[in-house]
Amino acid sequence: MSRTFFIHVEEKSPLLRLHPLLKITSLLAINLLAWIIDSPVVLLCAIVAVFLSFKIFKVPLARIGKFIVFAVLIVQAVMVSYILGSTIPGNMVYYRFPWGTYISDMTLVYAFTMAAKFLLMLWGSTLLLAVMRDIDIVYGLVSMRLPYYLAFTVNLAFRLSTVFMEDYAKVRDAMILRGTNFSEKSLVQRARNYVRLGTPLMVLAIRRMFEMTNALIIKGFEPGRSRTYLYDFSLTIKDKVISFLLVAAVVLAFLLKTFYGLLTFPGWPFNG
Amino acid sequence: MEISVKNIVITGVTAGLCLPLALFAIILVPIPGLPAASGFWIPAGFYFVMTLWFGVWGALGGHIATTLAMGYFFGYTLQVWADGGLGDFIAPLVCFTIFKIAKANPELKTRRDYVVWIVAVLISSLVCGLWVHTVNLLFGVITWPFWWIGVLTYFIGDSLAVLIVGTPLLKTLTEYVKASPMYVWGEQ
Repeated sequence: MSRTFFIHVEEKSPLLRLHPLLKITSLLAINLLAWIIDSPVVLLCAIVAVFLSFKIFKVPLARIGKFIVFAVLIVQAVMVSYILGSTIPGNMVYYRFPWGTYISDMTLVYAFTMAAKFLLMLWGSTLLLAVMRDIDIVYGLVSMRLPYYLAFTVNLAFRLSTVFMEDYAKVRDAMILRGTNFSEKSLVQRARNYVRLGTPLMVLAIRRMFEMTNALIIKGFEPGRSRTYLYDFSLTIKDKVISFLLVAAVVLAFLLKTFYGLLTFPGWPFNG
Repeated sequence: MEISVKNIVITGVTAGLCLPLALFAIILVPIPGLPAASGFWIPAGFYFVMTLWFGVWGALGGHIATTLAMGYFFGYTLQVWADGGLGDFIAPLVCFTIFKIAKANPELKTRRDYVVWIVAVLISSLVCGLWVHTVNLLFGVITWPFWWIGVLTYFIGDSLAVLIVGTPLLKTLTEYVKASPMYVWGEQ
């Protein structure tokens, strides 16, 4: 098993061994495709394909389970917004609200489409993030000709987010040991206790800033200077073909939608 | 503008600190009907303060945290997280600018400092609430009846979090931060 940012993944997973540039490009492609495609059936097919990819690429499907709360939050937000606040014409109106909006058959299809867009991106990104490591962020962004310091900053954000989650747990435990009750019945008191967590967390963050700045300066890190790299990630023919296909998929989706009216809402079978 | 090691570290650490807090905020206090909205945007309390201490680099950290939290961790489509991330970059900078123009002290020593702090937070939250939700409306992410709810919850959620979380941080830690070489108040 190999340790990535967030989980352990099987060494033989083809996604894990993918070139860092392709991992970043795939993330961008999924984001863009979820944005471009408006047809609910195509989006549903894409979501099913992402689910199958978890199995094919040997990424633990249980990872999705952790995002159920996020998925519920996304779906409720979209559903409430469209069901209570939209006027999308359809073949049948189910209910009219006093403030002028109504629920038609197309309201439900549109709300489903928006939720499907969000879920495609959530699960597609989860699949790729599950196989992402420090070197993927740094080498992937550098391969895209972005400056090294930018890649380093983004990597620092990812790496430190997990460190601060541990810090949060440590500070919280220390406060509980000193008598703080985080399960107070009074909401105000509970909120005040959580706000008090902020000061020690901020002190830890500032100390980490000093230490890290000094360590980087001592190691000779200079943002504008050219540097050498430990690993050599050269693109093979297969990598080049995959990158071409990813870019082509996004361009094709855009052209099909803009010039041929395909992939648009509501699409087959709802367009009659 | 030359980028130094401390600028990069400030941005990375602010983003790393705010990223889990952003997720925490959206899960704890979600707003029905508004994707990626929270009634108590906890990370704002941190990156507003970081911006007052460390300038634009603190705001950039907040921007990266929001963008990553709403994008790759939370699954919102491109325009939602790009819009939210940009809003969270503008908000602390508006506050920083007002603070600088008014020549207030981030240690909040006088009544005037407190007034400037509160007014700056309210104005910056309102400006960015209008920006974020108008862009969301134009992209069809939210509907018109939810626009004003969005602006109002952004205004309340951000202002409350910044004032409740940020005020004790400024009061207790500004003196400590001022003693460090990272502090930028005199530089900008």
